[in-house]
Amino acid sequence: MADISLVPAPVLGGFQQTFATCSLAERIDIALISIAIPRQGKDALTQGISARWALDMPGATKMTQANGLRAIPLTADQFLLAFTPENERTEASVQADLEGIGYTTVQTDAWVILELSGKGSIAALERICPLDLDLEVFPNESASRTVMDHLGVLIARLADDRFWLMSARSSAASFLHAVDTSCRWSAI
Amino acid sequence: MNQPNRIDGGQIDRATTLKFQFNERWLTAHPGDTLASALLANGVRLVGRSFKYHRPRGIFSAGSEEPNALVQLHKGAALEPNTRATTVEVFDGLYATSQNHRGSLEYDFLAVNDLLSPFLSAGFYYKTFMWPRAFWEKIYEPVIRSAAGLGRLSGKPDPDAYDHGYLHCDVLIIGAGPAGLTAALAAGRAGLRVILADEDFRMGGRLNAETQVVGDMEGAAWAQAAVGELTSMNNVRLMTRTTVYGAYDHGTYGALERMTDHLSDSGDKPRQVLWRVYSKRAILCAGATERSIAFGNNDRPGVMLAGAVRAYVNRFGVAPGRRVAVLTNNNDGLRTVDDLRAKGIEVSAVIDARKGDYLVNTTGRKGLKSVHLNNGRRIEADCLAVSGGWSPNVHLSSHHRGRPIWRDDIAAFVPGGELPPGMIVAGAANGTLTLASILKEAHETAQRIATDLGKSGPTGEPPKASDEDFATAPIWHINKGKQRAWVDLQNDVTTKDVTQSHREGFRSVEHLKRYTTLGMATDQGKTSNMLGLAVMAEASGKTIPETGTTIFRPPYSPVPIGAFAGRARGKDFRPTRRTPSHDWASENGASFVETGAWLRAEWYARPGERGWRDSVDREVKATRTGVGICDVTTLGKIDIQGRDTAEFLNKIYANAFLKLPVGKVRYGLMLREDGTVYDDGTTARLSETHFVMTTTTANAVLVFRNLEFARQCLWPDLDVHLISTTDAWAQFSVAGPKSRALMQKAVDDLDLSNEAFPFMACAACTVFGGTPARLFRISFSGELAYEIAVPARYGDAMIRAMMAAGEEFNLTPYGTEALGVMRIEKGHVAGNELNGQTDARMIGLGKMISRNKDFIGAALLDRPEQTRDDGLQLVGLRPIDANVNLTAGAHFLNPGDPADMAHDQGWMTSVAYSPELGCSIGLGFLKRGSERHGETLRSFSPIRAQDVMVEVCSPHHIDPEGERQRG
Amino acid sequence: MIINHPLLGPRDAAEFVYLGDASLIERPDGFGENAEDAMYDYVYLRDNPAGQHRELWYHEQGDRSWLVVTRNTLTHEITAIELARDVARSKGRSR
Repeated sequence: MADISLVPAPVLGGFQQTFATCSLAERIDIALISIAIPRQGKDALTQGISARWALDMPGATKMTQANGLRAIPLTADQFLLAFTPENERTEASVQADLEGIGYTTVQTDAWVILELSGKGSIAALERICPLDLDLEVFPNESASRTVMDHLGVLIARLADDRFWLMSARSSAASFLHAVDTSCRWSAI
Repeated sequence: MNQPNRIDGGQIDRATTLKFQFNERWLTAHPGDTLASALLANGVRLVGRSFKYHRPRGIFSAGSEEPNALVQLHKGAALEPNTRATTVEVFDGLYATSQNHRGSLEYDFLAVNDLLSPFLSAGFYYKTFMWPRAFWEKIYEPVIRSAAGLGRLSGKPDPDAYDHGYLHCDVLIIGAGPAGLTAALAAGRAGLRVILADEDFRMGGRLNAETQVVGDMEGAAWAQAAVGELTSMNNVRLMTRTTVYGAYDHGTYGALERMTDHLSDSGDKPRQVLWRVYSKRAILCAGATERSIAFGNNDRPGVMLAGAVRAYVNRFGVAPGRRVAVLTNNNDGLRTVDDLRAKGIEVSAVIDARKGDYLVNTTGRKGLKSVHLNNGRRIEADCLAVSGGWSPNVHLSSHHRGRPIWRDDIAAFVPGGELPPGMIVAGAANGTLTLASILKEAHETAQRIATDLGKSGPTGEPPKASDEDFATAPIWHINKGKQRAWVDLQNDVTTKDVTQSHREGFRSVEHLKRYTTLGMATDQGKTSNMLGLAVMAEASGKTIPETGTTIFRPPYSPVPIGAFAGRARGKDFRPTRRTPSHDWASENGASFVETGAWLRAEWYARPGERGWRDSVDREVKATRTGVGICDVTTLGKIDIQGRDTAEFLNKIYANAFLKLPVGKVRYGLMLREDGTVYDDGTTARLSETHFVMTTTTANAVLVFRNLEFARQCLWPDLDVHLISTTDAWAQFSVAGPKSRALMQKAVDDLDLSNEAFPFMACAACTVFGGTPARLFRISFSGELAYEIAVPARYGDAMIRAMMAAGEEFNLTPYGTEALGVMRIEKGHVAGNELNGQTDARMIGLGKMISRNKDFIGAALLDRPEQTRDDGLQLVGLRPIDANVNLTAGAHFLNPGDPADMAHDQGWMTSVAYSPELGCSIGLGFLKRGSERHGETLRSFSPIRAQDVMVEVCSPHHIDPEGERQRG
Repeated sequence: MIINHPLLGPRDAAEFVYLGDASLIERPDGFGENAEDAMYDYVYLRDNPAGQHRELWYHEQGDRSWLVVTRNTLTHEITAIELARDVARSKGRSR
């Protein structure tokens, strides 16, 4: 069927909105690959990503980044690699790079990523996020999964008042409603 | 519009005048007023009627302990009953009405109850309405219900919004009176993360109501200065209008913040936020509550706590009366005299109960006119300030069941030894009732916590103050005279009720409470419990600590149910999940059904169809004769990788998985450890180390959890890794004899002939010119069928492309109902059959189970109940009369047998109308069912009133040999 | 309740799912001696202590680790938290 080709669509249509003290935007440019660390293969994987990308393994709640790749902790033996696909770097090429040293699964489509930024971000998150976001407890480059408004959410702190909030794609509309409500209701 | 009782001073903003209504009368107030202070300023003394006797009542306190002045706020759907006028801030346009009267507040018909009071004493319900029995439902209950209760609910959905939130701190300080402010200053200066919460809209606590000096300033001014310093600290969060209502496990506290209750316009913001506060330590600085003294007719409007009188005079600039009498058993109460005189208010009598003076009665029907002393004197007074001493607010210290302990010197309970872990009590809440000691204790407590938590910044010195003499005598009630003396104003409990309770044997505190309803009203007896205990102690000849105290439970003061619900109401009750084809389905006439959180298309209505059956029949026929498409994304998908995955799956599934070839899919049965089937699905092997498991929609989360349990707890050294891909792939079932032709069009460069891609094959491929996809040849409908998955972001494009490509085959979308019909026709089990009691033998899959490996559920497969000769087995059912629609849930009986459990042969699990067979069909469990094909049975449903004859047949109503799906 | 996760620090119990007695780690061999009796005990019989209880919690809305939490059932005091995988290995479980 050469006459039909499939065009991808972001689950929230590329939502973007600015509130009184914060902004919310769907990130539609991020690819995600999960990497499971083979049993007794941690050293090999550590060396592999270091040699290939100069990327360190993430900690339990600490992200690492290098060369446009961001490693986000997920479980004790699994993490996400986030990057913006370009000509030279695609989901498939990253998977190929990890062949034999890590078990990879494309996760791009499993998630919706909302980027929350602005000085009102913390006030908005106070209404839904049970984690302590004090900078001493959850400094920049921290990431952790938790639950917000009944939904599982991976929260990653990119800067003092810039966060990625990652949740399941199928419930993206409900998730957006939860975060959007928090932004509106917490604005002073 | 003047405020006759407004006097000089106070912490109100006279520059601004607010207008509000009480019982349809427009009145004025100033910012800083509560509804109570504004009513008093306007000379309104009669505010409500009492609960049981409908006695006229006024304002009794100046805080959240208020038992009397309960009012309704707002109108229409926003109507809120039982709010305390003493805590409601006045705003422009506030609308308040009194409650609990039939007719007007001044002339309440139900005041007749007061005349009937001899019949309405403690326990009257239990005694009076016993007989005749038939009267209860028809007469007693309706009458009682209509008369009972305080305010009225609007009966409409709450129009306001409520929210939840989460806060973290090193130390939560509960109460911002002198102790709380001092503790917060010390903790804040030391560098701790502090939350200081107070239920009032103005911090300062009693300092705002008293004339005491702190440092070199008036107490209220010092409090404002302290608030100023705290506001400048980034590590301190100040929360006014915030009640910490409960102490929960591990340093978690519940707090209710009233965000917009005090505003004319909420600005579309939530009215209240229920915070969950996580703390390392908490300092309870909740202060103390003054209590009354019981004497004859001590409930008239104008009888008020002495501390409240000082609050109205000093804080609100209001004279609660023009001629005030003072009754006290302690020195603190005597300060009222000086404060009143300083404002030029006449004090008509000072009655110090410690000197043997007491009151026997009062007069004034709708407001106090005079008080009668024991020496026969009558003194004119329009207000009586009563102080029976102060009770520390120990409530939160007891929320983990710790019992308070008695202190004779202050005649009060103080927090006991077993506090909630992490809590320390300071100030009046701890029984420290004089100012200098309060400040010192609070300061040192905060210092100690800072040291504990490793913060050693300079904390400064506690502010200077003096310790006044606080001498009190345990005088609780004056049992002279014949008049009723009120203990619990809100629930209308008198001293006589308490002594009667004792007389009738209800002597333990818990019995007293329930028999008399003492302390069971919305105020939870804050001003009355001690009095009740004291009267009971006296009646039983015991001490108060021997008599005991009831257990305090959250909440400290009432929390609206709406606040607990937060946002979780209506359509936001829980999140919904949508399939990738949701928008397309909506555009094409789909109606949706909730399956868990998912919304799935149940059928696609077309113009001219008379009902759902038309749509479903059409979808089934079109699929069975041509090709249909259904979004099956909701099935759980788990990506499983690792060197030991095959071995792992072999332990998880009851059937063999070790040798599943790459490129193949296998149906798998999962058992619980007790041998019961709990889930089924297919698992595909994409490579030596890579499998994709599907689960049922309902069990996706549970299966994943159990797999994690198995790999972490049971076989921790297997190399197996899991990640959910349920949301990552948009997956469609394409079924029907023309599905191959359609799929061949959609898929790029993959030979789909039966030889190249047989039943149960799978492959990674691309569709529509390069979009990555996975293709599985599996069938739930029993037809030749495929499942095609593309990354979810292509899901919407995929369904549209498939529909375009399928036009020449009349591709028909079908929903969950058609899916259900086809699986019943085919005899595939689903949730109705896998009900948590089903074992593999029952569904004809006994032979599939591997007997030469250990797997979850293996050891208990052969329990006697599972292997009995007359075990239930899955069968198909058809009505003898083809016009009958079968009923799920009906039980089977042998013809001629009576319809009772002893003769029960089994039951119908699923039914559907089969367009192909032209009749209703069913699946069911029948004793020895597989041997009984061809038998005729009764299908009996007393609930649906159906009693029909059915024929037993194979559960595979169509294509029993499976030729279609393999073709 | 707060569960102090060994890897992640203190977390609200709302992120967790409770399973029950930690003895569920000690699954008998389904093919071993007296497998049916042993499995019967394993599946159906539990202690229900008033006091210290070792129990399984799953960090479902977190890092998906199974934990063994030692909790006092009378006071909710938590005195130890271990990764269930470590506990399983210490009990000799491997593959």
